[in-house]
Amino acid sequence: MIRLAALLALALAGGAHAHSKSVTTPADGAIVAEAPEIALDFDMPMRVIAFTLLRGGEGEEGVEVETESESGMASVTRYLAVPAEALEPGPYRVEWRGMSADGHPMQGGFAFAVDPEAEPEADD
Amino acid sequence: MEGLAPLDALTVLAVAAKAAGYAAALLAAGGAIFLALFREADALVLRLARRVAVAAALAGLAVLALRFGIRAARISGLGLDGATDPVMLGFVWQSPLGAAAVWRASGEIAILAVLLPGLVGRIVPLLGALAVAVSYAQVGHTLGEPRWALATLLVLHLLAASYWVGALAPLRRAALAPGGAALLHRFGILAAGLVALLVVAGTGLAWLLSGSPLALVGTAYGWGLLAKVAVVAGLLGLAALNKLRLVPALQQGRPSAARALRRSIAWEGAAVTLILVATAAITTATVPPANL
Repeated sequence: MIRLAALLALALAGGAHAHSKSVTTPADGAIVAEAPEIALDFDMPMRVIAFTLLRGGEGEEGVEVETESESGMASVTRYLAVPAEALEPGPYRVEWRGMSADGHPMQGGFAFAVDPEAEPEADD
Repeated sequence: MEGLAPLDALTVLAVAAKAAGYAAALLAAGGAIFLALFREADALVLRLARRVAVAAALAGLAVLALRFGIRAARISGLGLDGATDPVMLGFVWQSPLGAAAVWRASGEIAILAVLLPGLVGRIVPLLGALAVAVSYAQVGHTLGEPRWALATLLVLHLLAASYWVGALAPLRRAALAPGGAALLHRFGILAAGLVALLVVAGTGLAWLLSGSPLALVGTAYGWGLLAKVAVVAGLLGLAALNKLRLVPALQQGRPSAARALRRSIAWEGAAVTLILVATAAITTATVPPANL
């Protein structure tokens, strides 16, 4: 009994994931010269309910940067967020939450940095 | 570990509510099935079965409403304030949980018909039990591919589980009732086939959802599932003990047989509770390896 409870507790301990796989632009950990838009690509439709862009590194409070998205809270496979103003150099974090097509609450996050000196990334 | 959801108070609440919903659904559907299959049982046993089915159906409806609120709160990011947010509730309604809720609520309301006399009181609750089982195939991991195989296996798995779980309380009462030994014996004969179906369907589901047995080790879903299977093994052991030892002892009229059997059935109930919590946990807070 106790061992099972411990196993379950272990199985439920932290860590983030996405129910449907997501690919982000910029990629997690990328250093980009500019980021005119931030994209989340899902393999199954996702209703993104909250999207937050923060300027600040890991562990910092961060300052929220305003973004706009045309799709709003619709269920989409590509969610585009456009920053209201061009992003200044520095570290950024994105946090989002939503609901996948199968009804599961989802959340995810990633980080990137803007550095005008950065090599433009090859498109692949 | 791969495939874990962030753990917060709302997730824990969601798991608890889901497990309560499972218990209500299995008890309600199982009560209807018991009443249809064992009409020869003692009047007191039938009355208990009816009461359990009705109470479970009502509890199931309440839990369904609660889960809607919890789901809305979880997707909103507003904490409990999101539970009553009409926009968020609308999203939940449009999600598979909405479709499942229609099936489940209809089924649980139909199960209330066990209170009605005659043919209606027997047929309508059985249809309700089927609707409750079908409701679970409207939501969650079984929406994946192969859709029909997953949905069929899940419905069979749940109907077999209902037969077992819904019978526990009436059978515990039957151990003391006249004709109880014969009833328990008949239950055991049917259970042998249905429990085999339960295990085969469960194994099929696990195999389809995990992609490979190897994927079970090293993922949260896999560990949760293995924990569930460990308790299921204990439950099967108890069931075998009852069938092969305790029920025959009751049939031979041994003193203390009824007490031992009632204790064993109570332990079965405890094991079922653990299994439901494990199931709720792995379907709420983890992702099957095939989906990672």
